[in-house]
Amino acid sequence: MPEAPMLQVENLDVFYGSYQVLWDVSLDVTNGEVVAVLGPNGSGKSTVLKAIMGLVPIRAGRVIFEGSDLTRVPTHEMVAHGISMVLERRRLFTNMTVRENILLGAYHKSVASQTKDRLEWVESLFPILAERRDQIAGKMSGGEQQMVAIARSLMSKPRLLLMDEPYLGLAPKIVDQIVQIIRKINGEGIAVLFNEQNVKLSFGVSNQGYLLEGGRMVLSGTGDEMMNSDVVRRVYLGV
Amino acid sequence: MTIYLFIEQIINGLIIGSTYALIGSGIALIYGTMRVLNLAHGEFYMLGGYFVFYLAVTMGLAPWIAIPTAVFGAFLLGMAIQRTTIHFLFGREGWMFSTIAATLGLSIFLQNAALLLFGEQFQTVPYYVSGVVELGQVRIPAQRILIFAVSMATIGVMTYVLKYTRLGWAIRATSQDRDAAAVVGIPAERIYMITFGIAAALGAIAAAMLAPIYSINPWSGLPILLKGFVVVILGGLGSFPGAIAGGLILGVVEAVGVQVTSSEWRDVISFGLMIAVIWWRPWGLFGQKPS
Repeated sequence: MPEAPMLQVENLDVFYGSYQVLWDVSLDVTNGEVVAVLGPNGSGKSTVLKAIMGLVPIRAGRVIFEGSDLTRVPTHEMVAHGISMVLERRRLFTNMTVRENILLGAYHKSVASQTKDRLEWVESLFPILAERRDQIAGKMSGGEQQMVAIARSLMSKPRLLLMDEPYLGLAPKIVDQIVQIIRKINGEGIAVLFNEQNVKLSFGVSNQGYLLEGGRMVLSGTGDEMMNSDVVRRVYLGV
Repeated sequence: MTIYLFIEQIINGLIIGSTYALIGSGIALIYGTMRVLNLAHGEFYMLGGYFVFYLAVTMGLAPWIAIPTAVFGAFLLGMAIQRTTIHFLFGREGWMFSTIAATLGLSIFLQNAALLLFGEQFQTVPYYVSGVVELGQVRIPAQRILIFAVSMATIGVMTYVLKYTRLGWAIRATSQDRDAAAVVGIPAERIYMITFGIAAALGAIAAAMLAPIYSINPWSGLPILLKGFVVVILGGLGSFPGAIAGGLILGVVEAVGVQVTSSEWRDVISFGLMIAVIWWRPWGLFGQKPS
């Protein structure tokens, strides 16, 4: 019998006010996997990740992680359960230094005592951030800021990392670097769930994908299955 | 005007300005962290003054016991007020206006509650220290030096807390990005409550230090609120260091301005300065120009 997936998202309904943005969305992430949520602009990709993290209220459905129900757990307690997140457009504390931003990633009491070890580990993954430690985060380039955001999210040593549009607004060369970083993170045994518009780009790093259209999950499968799917072509090209 | 009188006025300005800085930094802290404009901030000052009066005069406690107790009381009151009012509005539709309306209502409520509880007579507290310090030709009452010392020490402690402590990092992080702070495990709700408590405590410290000079009455919060607004506009709304600088500048400009003109011109000078800043640098003297 295969073991239960690490993350099970079951039948999510999400509303912004009275406006429904997700209908009955379900997905699984298996331990150690990289999973992509795909879909065009406005399809609700970001909302899926935000709902898992508790940043938007869930009207119906459940979020099960490692056997516990996290549906109603507030955002600020998620790191204690082993889930961390890189928000869309980095969202650094722009007036603070690189080091301060990274250290804040270990703010939660459940991880604060291991701050020193975590900092060593994170800076070994991103040596450049140790060099730039005293720079003001807001003054860095987009790619460097994304690195700081990822480093910050890793300070709690999550078992699952959510990444909201990790490639957004970055130059192609930098996107390649971020792809490498996601592989590296995954190599550390951390599962990654991220969203992205570009199907081809997504399967450069993920093994499994889900396709959203208008707030509904319309397809799931491996990279090969999805790349050759008529559904993907219809959703993106409207043919 | 002799040079000594001029120096004396500058020193007096810095002394009163240091208490303006305490008031302004409370408003700035709340605005910076929550983007809530707290129109009841003057009432934190007024109630802090009454707390000191009741502990130090009515109960006859020594000032060094009465003042910290009053400040702690204001801290608790500030947290309770946030939790019972702003907490329910914050983040909901139209909260930027509903919180302004709520704090205005709170201000009126607290004024009338004070009137009911403490009566309308003006109260004062005796000087905490007596004597005059002479520096050459310049004479300053020891009481005023104490005001300056306590205010600057408070500002020093607050700066340290914001820069180096876990709580301070959490406040700064929440003020910059609430969601990002929540994601790393910072409970924004609790931070907001504590921020309100701290702001109320800062107001109470200012009240405690000014109580021997200015009288305490149910309406003494309003002029202080207006001063606080001038301070945060000078310094840049929401900026803690800006509020400190803004407070000191306002104090000196007022003191020297009054000396040059007359005391009826005090408010004209401070609001004139505020209007000039809004006109010339709407983001404040120390704020950053929004890009």
